[in-house]
Amino acid sequence: MNLEEYKGVYVYAQQVDGTLSGIAFELLGKAKDLASDLKTDVTAVLIGSDVKGLADELAAYGADKVIVVDDPELKDYRTEPYTHALASVINEYKPEIMLVGATAIGRDLGPRVSARVATGLTADCTQLEIGDFPLNPMPGKEQKHNQLLMTRPAFGGNTIATIACPDNRPQMATVRPGVMQKIDKIDGAKAEVIEYNPGFTPDNKYVEIIDIVKSVSETVDIMDAKILVSGGRGVGSPENFKLLEDLAEAIGGEVSCSRAVVDNGWKPKDLQVGQTGKTVRPQVYFAIGISGAIQHVAGMEESDLIIAINKDETAPIFEVADYGIVGDLNKILPQLTEQIKAAVAAKK
Amino acid sequence: MDFALDKKHEMARTLFREFAENEVKPFAQETDETEVFPRAIVDKMAKYGFLGIPVPKEYGGQGCDPLTYAMCVEELAKVCGTTAVIVSAHTSLCIDPIMTYGTEEQKKKYVPDLASGKKLGAFGLTEPGAGTDAQGQQTKAVLDGDEWVLNGSKCFITNGKEADVYIIIAVTGVVEKRGRKQKEISAFIVEKGTPGFTFGTKEKKMGIRGSSTYELIFTDCRIPKENILGAKGKGFGIAMHTLDGGRIGIAAQALGIAEGALDRTVEYVKERKQFGRSIAQFQNTQFQLAEMATSVEAAQLLVYKAAKAKETQKVYSVEAAKAKLFAAQVAMDVTTKAVQLHGGYGYIREYEVERMMRDAKITEIYEGTSEVQRMVISGNLLK
Repeated sequence: MNLEEYKGVYVYAQQVDGTLSGIAFELLGKAKDLASDLKTDVTAVLIGSDVKGLADELAAYGADKVIVVDDPELKDYRTEPYTHALASVINEYKPEIMLVGATAIGRDLGPRVSARVATGLTADCTQLEIGDFPLNPMPGKEQKHNQLLMTRPAFGGNTIATIACPDNRPQMATVRPGVMQKIDKIDGAKAEVIEYNPGFTPDNKYVEIIDIVKSVSETVDIMDAKILVSGGRGVGSPENFKLLEDLAEAIGGEVSCSRAVVDNGWKPKDLQVGQTGKTVRPQVYFAIGISGAIQHVAGMEESDLIIAINKDETAPIFEVADYGIVGDLNKILPQLTEQIKAAVAAKK
Repeated sequence: MDFALDKKHEMARTLFREFAENEVKPFAQETDETEVFPRAIVDKMAKYGFLGIPVPKEYGGQGCDPLTYAMCVEELAKVCGTTAVIVSAHTSLCIDPIMTYGTEEQKKKYVPDLASGKKLGAFGLTEPGAGTDAQGQQTKAVLDGDEWVLNGSKCFITNGKEADVYIIIAVTGVVEKRGRKQKEISAFIVEKGTPGFTFGTKEKKMGIRGSSTYELIFTDCRIPKENILGAKGKGFGIAMHTLDGGRIGIAAQALGIAEGALDRTVEYVKERKQFGRSIAQFQNTQFQLAEMATSVEAAQLLVYKAAKAKETQKVYSVEAAKAKLFAAQVAMDVTTKAVQLHGGYGYIREYEVERMMRDAKITEIYEGTSEVQRMVISGNLLK
């Protein structure tokens, strides 16, 4: 493998049903940073059936080139044809860096492709930068420059690993959605579009998709929720939980509650967090009108981020909260919901 | 040194025992099964004057000594742990602090109705974050004009929701003590029905299941300025001194539970036959009963001594702590052995000893865990 031949930062532009996923734009935003450090350009790889029309959108978010693999076989995501497509693109165009979103699709596709092109892959990265490897010079070991340093949480977030791939190309990473920033849209931007089709010969490795179900789950298990909007007695009434439901809807979370709320008959027991309820570890936990007795805190203190809203500044919940607002939830929640809605709309 | 009870006490004990046997015992199992507060029995006890035994006559009580009161709790506990604790919490934890720390107006206003049993009393100190560490109070009282505004909650309150008058401990500010910031804690009298004072969860318990154990919730609850009990900032001392007295009541309850279990077991082992003779004829049974009876009597002497100390001494914390620590241990031990000597039948709810075993456990926990009693006793030893 001649590493010098490999050039450029490539991004897998995930699309589903002819619509680009948000992660594609996030990756482009990051790829622009990396490309400017490496003094190279950004290429999006678009794979699907009848998707050429999406190229302009990719250009608007920072793609200098778009490689389109367009084939009827690629209508819905399937491991084998998509792997064939992306691996062929890599072998043909030799990118230095290949980024894939760590979505359900990307987590399936990334490892397959990396094995096929015989390179390293770091999964679920939260930070990417260009730097030296090893980080500090070591006697007897060549320090390579302009390497992709891929950082990811490991062991359930208890340790942070920074990983490099010095001897193989491309340097591949799947990137956690929501971590990277997309750039502001450049209206009217155009990218150089290259059509490439490696040819598809279906064989027994091609799975047959029988049915695709888009489920809208009515009852959720709060233990699986990534974001929980949790209310306590301070919410005041079952009707007032509407404020929490609005916030949960805006931010894509679920509503949970404290024991007091269950005892009052405002919410069912399976939404209760705490010693006698469920133990949850969401990425974000809003504790709203919850005083924060240990009986409750024991069920949620492992949350990655705790945001407390309470009118009593001495409430024990503030001892475990990362962010706290002292004030009336009736005033704060509607504003918070509005702001989040605006932010979500801006992201789209 | 006279270990015999005088005539007055003997008569009182007979009265308590007859009441317990005739009025309480028939309903003890039902009270446990249904977990319903035995209101009818409480009303009857009020009629007999059992709800104001140690209260002076001029405040509507019976004017008896603490020992008579302890014996009443003991006799009730022999047949029903629930009934015993209703009397104990009401008398020791609500009337006693008003009598000890209340102004003349407060005593006149509250004690006669409580002592006559027209109203029932309770005591609110414990919070989710403040159990043994009673300083960890979060409930606040803020003076606004001529009213105190209470916000917070209390948990595990005996007689909760059933009681009409509550002694509530709350934080009224922060004070500097030896350069360290400390919570300033005060005591208040709060009446049921005050706006902003509501009840939360009813706890489902292992034992004393008819006792009404509730959460109290205060949301901007306004009470008159004059409802502060004792001086502002003296609440912690008031609570601790109140618990000293309460511990004698709980010690008496534990003692009664142990005695009740021993009585049942003695009867049972005489009747039950295995291997062609009553199980009372086996030496293991005899020795077990000997141990049980000895520890029950030791507990009784400690409890009575503590009751006497309350009558004759200004400070009786250590006597009360020793009585409660030991009597609760004895109750747990004796009831466990009682179930064993009943064999399989002891594990059946129809035979009362399993209930007594469940009731006994709480005596090691409430009004200060056994560990707290050891802290009090050792602290006094090593001062």
